[in-house]
Amino acid sequence: MAEIGHGGKEIVERIMEPSEAKEKIKGLKAIPVRPQIANEVIGIAYGFFSPLEGFMGKADVEGVCKIMRLSNGVVWSLPIIFDLSEGEISDYGIKEGDSVLLTFDNNPMAIFEVEEIYDYDKKQMCQDVFGTTEEKHPGCARTYNYKDKFLGGKVTLVNRPKINPPFDPYFIPPLELRKRFKEKGWARVVAHQTRNVPHTGHEWLMKGAWFQTYAELSIEKPLVGVLVNAIIGEKRKGDYIDEAIILCQDELRKAGYFGDHNHMTSLTFWDMRYAGPREAVFHAALRSNLGLTHHMFGRDHAGVGTYYGPYDAHRMLESVQDELGITPVYSMNWLYCPHCGEITSEGLCNHRDEWQKFSGTVIRSIVQDGVKPPRLIFRPEVFDLVMECAEKYGFGSPFVTDEYLEKRTPVFTFSEI
Amino acid sequence: MAEEKYPINIWINEERYEKLKEAGLGDMCEEMLAGLKVLRVYADEEQKDKILKAFPTAKFDSATTKSIELLPRDVKDKIFEKIVEKRSVEIMGEFLNAYE
Repeated sequence: MAEIGHGGKEIVERIMEPSEAKEKIKGLKAIPVRPQIANEVIGIAYGFFSPLEGFMGKADVEGVCKIMRLSNGVVWSLPIIFDLSEGEISDYGIKEGDSVLLTFDNNPMAIFEVEEIYDYDKKQMCQDVFGTTEEKHPGCARTYNYKDKFLGGKVTLVNRPKINPPFDPYFIPPLELRKRFKEKGWARVVAHQTRNVPHTGHEWLMKGAWFQTYAELSIEKPLVGVLVNAIIGEKRKGDYIDEAIILCQDELRKAGYFGDHNHMTSLTFWDMRYAGPREAVFHAALRSNLGLTHHMFGRDHAGVGTYYGPYDAHRMLESVQDELGITPVYSMNWLYCPHCGEITSEGLCNHRDEWQKFSGTVIRSIVQDGVKPPRLIFRPEVFDLVMECAEKYGFGSPFVTDEYLEKRTPVFTFSEI
Repeated sequence: MAEEKYPINIWINEERYEKLKEAGLGDMCEEMLAGLKVLRVYADEEQKDKILKAFPTAKFDSATTKSIELLPRDVKDKIFEKIVEKRSVEIMGEFLNAYE
C-alpha cells in the first residue's frame, strides 16, 4: 500500500542501486557540498521532505516566501535551496539541463539534475521567511551566507550514508518508521521535537502530550506512542553534544520512565533556521512524512530571541491546519511545585508563589558543575549517561567545545562506490 | 535605589556541603529545584559585566532566574574554594582581581 506523505503525495525514496549508480556517475562533474546541503540531500532522498524531490526552483521559492506554498499549491514554509557562486558555476561549467555529482568528504553522494539556475533577493527572502532582515537572527545569517546563485532540480542518492555509532539505530527514514509504528500497533503517535538532553520538565511535556493524544482511544491495549525526533545538525559551542542528546532521550525509555510500548527515539538531519512559526509548519510537514499523527508545540516553538510571540506558531499552524496531515498538541510548561511535592503543569497548580520553574540554562549549569540534581528534576540514569557521554564522546565535556567540533566522529559518512 | 545584585549559583553536593559546614557556612545554603542545595554568591553590575567578558561561555539567564550561569567548572570550583578559605560569600571582588 502506498505511503502518503505531506501534500497528499506518495513517499518515494530517491535512491539508486549501487550497480546502476556506478554507471550513472561516470563522467559527471563532481561538486563538493557542505554539511547543511548533505543533510538536505538525505532529507529529500529518503522522503523526510516529501513532496520535495530536489532543491527548489525559483517559482517554488517565490511561492514559499510569499504565500507559504510550493508552486503546486502544497503548503511549505521554508526554502530548501542549493547555492553556488557565479564563479563556481562558471569554473565547473554547469548549465541548465546538466546533471552533476554531489560529493561529500570526497565521496559520491547524489546526482543533481540542474533544471534551473537563478537569482533571488536574499534580503527579501529573510523578510518573508523570518519576518526580519537582521543579521543577528541566525536564520537570516545563514541566508546571507548563501552564495549568489541558486540551482534548482531533482536529487537522487547514489550512495547510502553510513550512519556512525552511536547514531546508527536512530536514523529511521519515513518508510521504515511508518512500518515500525504499524508493528507496534500504535494508532496515534505524537512528535517531541528536541535538541536537548531531557530533564523532567521535558519528560512531562512528553507525558502530557501522550495523555492529550490518547484522548478517547481505548485503553485495553497501548495505542499511542511518543516519538522523540531529535534534530541533528550544525552545532554551536555550549550546545549539548549530539551523542548525549540522542542517547539520553532514549535512556528515558531504557530506564523505564517510558517503555517500548509507548516511546521511541529517532533523528532527523536538519540545520535549524529558528524561523519560529514557519519552522513549526515545517516541523508539521516533516513529522507528517514520518507517519506521525500528532505534534507537540510549546510556547515560542523554534523561535529565537524576541522575534516571535509565544503563540505565533500556534496561530500559523491553525491557519493551514486543514492542509496539514498532523494534529497539533499545544503544551503548557511543566514546573516543580514544592507545595505539591511534584512536577506539575502551570495550567493545573495554583501555588504560583512557590513555583520553581525549569530553566534550561540553570539545568545545564548544574550538569556542567557535575552535581547530580534530585531525581524529580533530572533522572539519575540520564545524569550518569550525560557524564559517560562527556568522557566517551565529548572530550570531557557534555557540551560542545572547539575540540569536539574539530575531532568528533562525523554523524554520517559516505564510502566510495 | 539599592544596587542590583546578580547571583552565581554554586551547586552543593554532599562533599561540598561537608566543607561548608566545616567552614561554618552550612546554614547559608538555600534550596531550589526540589531540594537541590545552592550557595549564592553575588556580583554587582560591574562584576557581572567583567565575569561575562572574562568567561565567554558564561551566560546571564535573564529569562528565568536572573543569575549568572555556565561559568566553567574549574572557575566555579575556585570560587567555592575561595568561599571556604574566606569563610564568607563576599569574595567576588577579590576573586576577580586575579582576572584583571
